[in-house]
Order: sequence, then structure tokens, then C-alpha cells
Amino acid sequence: MKKAIVYINQFFGQIGGEDKADFEPVIREGLVGPAIEYQNQLGDEVKVTHTIICGDNFMGSHTEEAINTILGFLEDKEFDIFFAGPAFRAGRYGTACGHIGKAVKEKFNVPVITSMNDENPGVEMFRRDLYIFKGGASAASMKKDIKKMVDFGKKILKGEELLSAEEEGYFGRGIRKQVWLDPPVTAADRVMDMLLKKLKGEPFKTELPIPPQDKVLIAPPIKDLSKATIAIVTSGGIVPVDNPDRIQSASATRWGRYDISGLDRLEKGVFKTIHAGFDPAVANEDPNVIVPLDAMRAFEREGKIGKLHEYFYSTVGTGTTQGEAARMAKEMIPYLKEANVDGVILIST
Amino acid sequence: MKLELGNFYVKDIVFGDRTSYSNGILTINKEEALKVVMEDEHITEADLYIVKPGDRVRLVPVKEAIEPRVRVGGGPVFPGVTGKLMQAGNGRTHALKDCSVLVVGKHWGGFQDGLIDMSGEGAKYTYFSQLKNIVLVADTDEDFEKHEQQKKNRALRWAGMRLAEYIGSCVKNLEPEELETFELEPITKRSDDVKDLPSVVLVLQFQSQMEELGYNDLIYGWDTNRMLPTFMHPNEILDGAVISGSFMPCSSKWSTYDIQNFPMIRRLYKEHGKTINFLGVIATNLNVAMDQKERAAMFVAQMAKSLGADGAIVAEEGYGNPDADFIACIVALEDAGIKTVGLTPECTGRDGRSQPLVTVDPKADAIVSTGDVSHLIELPPMETVIGELESLARDGLAGGWAVDEILGPSVREDGSIIMENNSMFCGDQVVGWSTKTVKEF
Repeated sequence: MKKAIVYINQFFGQIGGEDKADFEPVIREGLVGPAIEYQNQLGDEVKVTHTIICGDNFMGSHTEEAINTILGFLEDKEFDIFFAGPAFRAGRYGTACGHIGKAVKEKFNVPVITSMNDENPGVEMFRRDLYIFKGGASAASMKKDIKKMVDFGKKILKGEELLSAEEEGYFGRGIRKQVWLDPPVTAADRVMDMLLKKLKGEPFKTELPIPPQDKVLIAPPIKDLSKATIAIVTSGGIVPVDNPDRIQSASATRWGRYDISGLDRLEKGVFKTIHAGFDPAVANEDPNVIVPLDAMRAFEREGKIGKLHEYFYSTVGTGTTQGEAARMAKEMIPYLKEANVDGVILIST
Repeated sequence: MKLELGNFYVKDIVFGDRTSYSNGILTINKEEALKVVMEDEHITEADLYIVKPGDRVRLVPVKEAIEPRVRVGGGPVFPGVTGKLMQAGNGRTHALKDCSVLVVGKHWGGFQDGLIDMSGEGAKYTYFSQLKNIVLVADTDEDFEKHEQQKKNRALRWAGMRLAEYIGSCVKNLEPEELETFELEPITKRSDDVKDLPSVVLVLQFQSQMEELGYNDLIYGWDTNRMLPTFMHPNEILDGAVISGSFMPCSSKWSTYDIQNFPMIRRLYKEHGKTINFLGVIATNLNVAMDQKERAAMFVAQMAKSLGADGAIVAEEGYGNPDADFIACIVALEDAGIKTVGLTPECTGRDGRSQPLVTVDPKADAIVSTGDVSHLIELPPMETVIGELESLARDGLAGGWAVDEILGPSVREDGSIIMENNSMFCGDQVVGWSTKTVKEF
């Protein structure tokens, strides 16, 4: 039999109202408050073994302590799934469910399910981290909210196919995956349908909602370039010919940095590009067209820049996701900071 | 312009004495067919196989797919490519339906090549697993590109087209089982009840990213990298005026078969005169320089506006860098007051959380998604491999890899594979077949 643990706040845990909101976390064997409803809905296949109760203010003001205490409670417990809430429109409760849910998921890698009303601030804070089902505004919807959570939890535990956020009823986690439409509808039919609606001014629904744009602000200019250390970072795939870091030619997840101290230019046959997204002929003939070491050395000699950083950093941009690119950049930054680099020339292809 | 497509539905393909078609059975004289393939001295060895839906066969590296056809009035199936230049889209062409000529490298693959499983879990990832296929497996002496990741695949692709023409020629003088007619009156000569319907153009962004000639899609033999947007009759597209190129991660590519059958064009034809007035096709490209992208978008919007379009559909062949053209075109059309729907695959990454297109704009508010190129696929070994399985890992196919610390190599010792959708042969079916979409989880 599978086991579940439920997290609730001081109010639903029957400790008390606002005056007990500083209540420190406790774990109780068996069912308290809403846990009874969870058990009813879960039936014989899943047993709720424990109920955790914590004051909303305690979780809010002593977050780390509360999380550590609860993780401590759970260390010697066996459980397959973790439920928190439902938190309805209660902001502090929702945030608490988010904090503890995220921590439990990270530490124990079990499915974590909670429920909040769309006006609960916990939704935006934690929707990427957990399954947050769309719940009612108040405890009047307790039964309904728990049913949605439990139905989904059972699907996970049985290994059944999980549908999209919209179909299941939780707030999307920002994870986009391809699916086959059932029943099948061809793209040509979907285009036609969408176009006719758009032409008639009827409501239509895009299949690719445009995400808010993540704009990087332009950095303030370097005050004195003649004293600045400049580094070269490229997504153009220039590497030593044996590609020592085995950076992929497309959809890269790897990057490398290569020592150029003492070099005046990148020689053909010593460096090349492994980028599969453009015609490599020109770059292989003269790698300086992507990593302009020759020009940077000239600037160095002229005193236009202070100096060039000893390494250039390279990966491949084609097919590489923004997520991976951001991660690689974060991995490069400590090296650049350690070398007191003032400016970076970021070369795309 | 009036095109008649005479269809012959192939129920089975066999090798036999005489290349012929009768009662749904396509018979191929293998020796004679191979002679046609070997007409090009660059083909060093070649063989033919027949594979059908349900066969326990994996094909890789697949380079091209072509529908066997014949131009009944004479002339090449692909004007300006396999023969003289002539107008496509007018007159009668006969086609062998439900089958394709697939071109597979005997050894060597490249960035643009793909994989097809004819049965099992992998079959759903490509359109071609549901067709009866004549598979040409061949090698060439094009040593200059043998170890290059980017391959023009010239000899193999042209051999495939010759073979498709040779096979297609057997139905030249037969009466087709079905005759489809595609006809559009000149735009200014249409009746009022058609003119009163919302006017729609289809904007096709053909793959043209390679500066060097030989890799890009061709329009009447002309490299799409060297063109400005131009107006075409949809019949031209359906009748061999455009052939696929040899560049782009495979799943987002449009094979020549896809272009010959273009479901989006057929769908627009179906609506023409009923709900829309289908003006025609604006053929454009996906060049890499920024000014070329801007210029193309400008031309497209101007042309659509001048033609009087109320609505437009924009489809991109590829993803990544071409997303910039895709979005630029949609924005230019919307700015011109033309209501536009986009048709594209997306790339959301292993965790599904990357921005789905390289460039986005809130004006692109109506997009149909045909799938995620970065979707990870794991498939068991297949009884028979035609081509060379190792090419998926070794030769830089867009969705394959030789080394990965976590996932291991794409091709395992037992013949099972792990790959990205990127290398499923024309799997995203951007031309309109795709029943895939992308949803948020």
C-alpha cells in the first residue's frame, strides 16, 4: 500500500486561529482535520500515515527553521506522495504550502501536490516548483479541491499518463512538451480554424503563447577602456582542432575555455569551428573571423584596451536552448570575475 | 492555371520483370531501376529495398523522400532540376500515391539527415512510416564531404529524383483512379462571390541558410538563398517547382515529398470559394544576415498588401535562426493590417522550459505548433537496419551524439538508440500533416 503525508496550517490543524499562527511545527500520527477528507478520497489504495501542522506566521517568519524541523520529521518516514493545503485564497497559508512543498520535493523526490485559488500569491511564487491545483476561494470548496488533488495523485502513483496542466487543472509549471492530439487534428486544419476565427474577429487560442520577454539591460559603458581587461566569449564554436571538451555541434550543453596568452592570432589547423549551424569554410580558413584575436592584440598594442583576458570561452549556439545558454554563462562568470574582466565581447554567428 | 493530378493508389510494391502498375500493385524492375540510379558516375554502389508499414526496419541516414510522378504531356517532374525549365502547375501530372522513394546513405550521414522506424514506438515520429517505400541505399565518391557534417548529398538526392521519375513513368499512359483538379482564376478575374470572401495568402519560408550553393531548397533550379520573395501559384508548388535542400535539423525540414503534397495548400484549396479567397503563395527564404531577413519581411508584407490579402499564413522550414524571419514576417504582416497565423515547430529544451522560439513578439498571437524538436526519444533495437545505424551518433546528425556523460552515446551496442526528435525524418510535418502540438505541463 502506498503512503501519503499531509501538511496543514494551525487553523485547519485545530490548534487555533490567528492567535496561534506562531505555532511551531508538529507531526501527528494519523488524520487531523482535512487529512480525514484526503483519506476518504484516497480510499483503500493509499494510506495517510501522518499529518503535519504548522502555524502560518511561524513558517513565514522562521521559514528555514520550520522547513528544517519538518524535513527532520520526515527523515525516518516512508511516504510516496505529499499533499499540502488546500490553501484557498489564504496568502500566508499558500506561501507556507509552497515553501514546504518545494523543500519536500527537492529532498525526497516524491510528488508534491497542493491547491490554491488563482488570487493566492503562492501561485506565482511556486507554480514552477510544484503541482498547484486551481482551487476555490474559501474552505467551502475543501472537498472539491481535495478531490482534484487526490485524483491526480492517484494517477501519478499508478503511473498513468498525465495530461497537460490545463487538462489536469493545475497551474502550468512553464514546462512545454510535445503531445499528440487525441483525437488527431492536423496542423493544416488547426491553422485554418484559427485563421477563420481571427479573420472573423472571434476568440481563438494560440498554441504557442508568447512568453514575457527576458530583456537584459545594456551595461553602463566602461569608463577607461585603456585600463580595462576584455574577454572574448563566443557561441560560434571555435575550439582547438581536437575539440578537447567535446562540445556538441548542435544543442550544446558543454563549453570550454582556451588559453590564448602568448598567441597573436588563431591559426588555421590549430583552431576550427565545430558549429553545425552555418557554413564553416570561412571560419576554418581563418578562425579570427569569429574570435578576433588578431584585432584584439592590435588594440592591445595601440593601448586602446588595457589587456585581453588570457582565455577565450566557447560553445555552440545552434539548437542550444536559452536555458542551457544561461546555465553555461553562469558557469563562465566566476572565471571572468576572478580575472577581473571589465568587459566581454560576446560573439554570435 | 489548371493542374490535374491523376492518382494511382499503391497497395503493394514488388520487384519483377517489368516496371509497371496494375490494380494497385507497383512492380519494379530492379536492374533497370538501378541503371537509372547509376547514370551518375558519382554513385559508386547502390541497392534497392522495399519497406512497408509494420516492417521491423529502421532507416538511417535518410536524406530525401520523393513521390514518384510523371508529367503526362512530357517534360521533367522537377523543371530546372531534373530537366529543362518549363512551367509547372499546368496540365496533367500522374502520381503514385501512398508510396515514396526514400534515399538513404549506405554509410555516411550528416546534420540534415534523419531516421525512420517503420514499426514500433518510433513509427509515430515520422510521416513516412505509413507509406510503402522504395528505398535507394547508395554510396558516392563525393569524398570532399564524406567527413563533413554539412553534406550537399547532391548525387544521392538527384539519384532519388531520377528514380522517382523512372518509376512514375510507368503510369504515364494509364487512366488514373482519381483525378484531382487544382485551379485558381487570376486574382482580378474572380467572381464577386469569391472576391467578397476574406482574401488569404500562404507565405512559405523555404530553407536558404547556406551561403554556398548546393545545400538550399531550389525553386525551378534556382537557389533560394539568391532570391527575393516572389509570388507563386500554389499549383507550381504542388507540381515540382520546388525541391527540398540538404540543410537544417531533419525534423523541421520539408522533404520534396512534403512539398509535392503540401497539405496546407490542399487545405486552402478546400476552403477557396467557400470561406476564403485563396490568393496564392508568397515564396520567401530564411537567409542569415539581418538585412536579408528585414528585406524579405518587407517584401512579403508589401506583396501581401498589394494583393489585397486580409489574412496570411506563415510557415517556416526550420527553427532557431529562421525563427527571426518567422517572427519578422508575422510582425510585418500584422503591421500591414493583415491577420496572420504562424505554423512552426518549437524548441523548448530538455527541461521544456526554454523560450520556444529564438525571437518572440506579442504580435505573433496566433501560432500553431507542430512539435518540439528537442524532445528526447529512446527506442529499442530494430531487427533490420537499412543504411548505417552508427551514423546517428558518429556523423553529427542534429539529434544524435557520440558522447554524453548522462545519456551515453545515441547508438548503443545492442542497437537501441537515444536521440532528439531533431533527427526524426521530416517529423515535425510543418507542411501541415502534424497531429502533434506542444502543451504546458
